[in-house]
Amino acid sequence: MFSQNGLSLDQAPPISVVFRFFLSGSIFGLLAGILTLLFGTDIFNADTSQALILTHTLTLGVMLSFMFGALFQMLPVIAGVKLTAPVKKANLVQYPLVVGVLLLLSAFYTGKAVFFISASMLLGITIIGIAFIMLKNLLALPNHSHSTKGMTIALSSLILLTLFALYLTATLAGLLEGTLYSQVKTAHYSFGLFGWITLLIISISFQVIEMFYVTPAYPAFISKSLPLRLFGLLLLGSIGAFFFAQSWFFVDIVIVGFLLCYALMTLRRLSQRKRPIADATVWFWRTGMMLLVLSASATLTTRFHPIPSLQAINYIFFAGFALSIVFAMFYKIVPFLTWFHLNAQGYFTAPMMHEVIHPKTAMKHLYIHLATLAAFVVSVYFTPIIYLAGSLTLLSFGWMLWQIVHAWKLYVHTQKTGERFEMTIPKAKD
Amino acid sequence: MSTTDKIFLDARELEHPVPLERAIAAIRELGEKNYFYMIHRKNPIPLIELAKEQGFSVLNKEDAQGTWHILIAKDRSLDLEALCDV
Repeated sequence: MFSQNGLSLDQAPPISVVFRFFLSGSIFGLLAGILTLLFGTDIFNADTSQALILTHTLTLGVMLSFMFGALFQMLPVIAGVKLTAPVKKANLVQYPLVVGVLLLLSAFYTGKAVFFISASMLLGITIIGIAFIMLKNLLALPNHSHSTKGMTIALSSLILLTLFALYLTATLAGLLEGTLYSQVKTAHYSFGLFGWITLLIISISFQVIEMFYVTPAYPAFISKSLPLRLFGLLLLGSIGAFFFAQSWFFVDIVIVGFLLCYALMTLRRLSQRKRPIADATVWFWRTGMMLLVLSASATLTTRFHPIPSLQAINYIFFAGFALSIVFAMFYKIVPFLTWFHLNAQGYFTAPMMHEVIHPKTAMKHLYIHLATLAAFVVSVYFTPIIYLAGSLTLLSFGWMLWQIVHAWKLYVHTQKTGERFEMTIPKAKD
Repeated sequence: MSTTDKIFLDARELEHPVPLERAIAAIRELGEKNYFYMIHRKNPIPLIELAKEQGFSVLNKEDAQGTWHILIAKDRSLDLEALCDV
């Protein structure tokens, strides 16, 4: 992890902060597998509570957990943001997030107002609170990269989509009449999928694709303006929907164009790597970008020809895109943090990165991930395969969970038994 | 000074985190008579912080092409400025 901004190691959070978010994300992933087995192909019908439950298990339970964990790590290291008391902040985010997500899933399942109200209070305060703190720190930076600008916009989207969600849950709880329910719902998921998840991935990619994989930088027309244009389009679609029913139709077409352009450029950049051998993380990025291309193409097609099976497949493409990037970052972050924190503490016997998670282990997860995606797609046409898809989801997140436990055990073992590196160099007196 | 050995690493085309891994391995092997010289496409702040915390003498400079030159020595009396190509 490198920064141009200057940074002290003590600004980085303890390794446990990141690992705990990844752990809860993996456990929610296991829950997603169980829910798939329980709900079957009902998850493909967006109007069912089963689809709502699975969607929010993935977006809030899995992706938000991983993204918060990554942000706690990356904001200080990549952006130079000083997050004071990271352990306290992480605790104040993680516990309410976990309980809040479970309450929200219960609310969708039972329809009871008490669950909607308690989930809204916990999730609303937690998500808006931490997003606001991160946003405030990002805005205070003296110098911004394209990456930090994008993160700022993504966090603004997170706050907006949460406010929209509060309106929706207040309506479902019977506290509001919900006269704007339909428009707000579209704004909520549009900001969620494109303004938060996609935009955060785009912003991080501006930094990590070039840095991790030694590629040329993104062209300025993408890195300079894409995040702001996407955000502007989402605002336009949301506001326009109150006056013009077809507002999202036109906005979606432009968004799809931008996303296709970005995904194809990322694939091109990954093909311009100097190193001929690609590890699992490169393939996760490639898979993610190919799925984004497929998802954008499916979105475009369904706008003109609403084919239900293609809409169902599009959910799989989009979820596959986001999860592929989460997995790519996971296999970069976990070995690096374990190795680096131990080295920073002076452990001579710190395991090398490939000993924390072996490249072949990550590659096996890629195959599991690809098989999972294929099983989900086939299950749209041949429903019994959904049980294979659910089982593979369990295997996929179980695999991740084991990698976290393994890395943590190695970390603790090295701290207990490791030989410390003593330089015995007298420090300069100046 | 002229007898000081240079341990050189061109990390410009190495993928993350190989430069950091190799650099840390190299500086652990440093003696009084040698120094580590790395060129990199980015300023490797974690390496620099880690080396400073361990008590090494460190110099990092960016040249006109945007390449970073990082010099690390165990012997704090070494004039790294004089050894730097920038």
